[in-house]
Amino acid sequence: MDRNHLKRQVDFMKRSFLDQGYLDEQFIQLEELQDDDNPNFVEEIVTLFFNDSARLLQNIEQALVSGPIDFAKLDNYMHQFKGSSSSIGAKRVKDECTRFKEYCTAGNAEGCFRTFVQVKQEHATLRTKLETYFQLARQAGPPGTSRGQVR
Amino acid sequence: MGAAVDHVTPMGMSGGSAEGNDKSEGQRFSCKSKLTALVVDNGGVCRAIQTALLRSYGVETEAVETGEAAVELIASGATFSLIIIEMLLSFMNGPETAKQIRAMGAQSKILGITAFFDERDQQEFLAAGADNFIEKPLSPEIVIPIINELDN
Repeated sequence: MDRNHLKRQVDFMKRSFLDQGYLDEQFIQLEELQDDDNPNFVEEIVTLFFNDSARLLQNIEQALVSGPIDFAKLDNYMHQFKGSSSSIGAKRVKDECTRFKEYCTAGNAEGCFRTFVQVKQEHATLRTKLETYFQLARQAGPPGTSRGQVR
Repeated sequence: MGAAVDHVTPMGMSGGSAEGNDKSEGQRFSCKSKLTALVVDNGGVCRAIQTALLRSYGVETEAVETGEAAVELIASGATFSLIIIEMLLSFMNGPETAKQIRAMGAQSKILGITAFFDERDQQEFLAAGADNFIEKPLSPEIVIPIINELDN
């Protein structure tokens, strides 16, 4: 398949993620960090994120379903989860985290439960979208060929 | 959709870059002097991203997971131009870490960083000796002015 066509598809996909608010500018900043020394930086970071965050989400789930809710513990887990989400530019996920935090701070268990469903959903949606994105990006060939970066 | 997406999309891109103060097309901003940084964060993703960002500007950067490790490093004689410390660490928290680092006489610029901005946390961090306190993510907009400041 025509490489240029694939590259355009990759760019278009990324642009649509940005337009629909799945990702924000921070993701672009990560791509700026990719170079010959770190050609797969973004995919590696995103993979790390989904591995780490799966664990955090499990911890949050556990904290929500086992006995009286420890809101301080929830807050702690969510703090780390939001920090990494915002750092990779996962905008919708980050926004749900903010909503969750409000309920958590208010000690509103039901609100936490409801919002957590949204958090998991956005997380899963983004994971699927980015998996597709990186698959396509790999087919399109090494990134940075259009960057003309001079060191 | 308009213009084609260009991977080089620096924020506030201006014409030339005499001193490398901004990121113009094809050239990445780089610090002028030998700068070092320490990232203190219990999250692997944040450590990796902050480290990569600083290194991309030529800042020699290390990362540790805990406040204790940061204090130990500095106690052993390591010095850093910049130390970025997450608010909520696994054991000793960010402000306490900053306090201990300052108590050792470290002159580094200390930047407190957090997932959720909170005024009380900000007060705590600044009182502990941090110079600044921001919400994640760490971005070029934050880092470049700091580097410029440290360079001069």
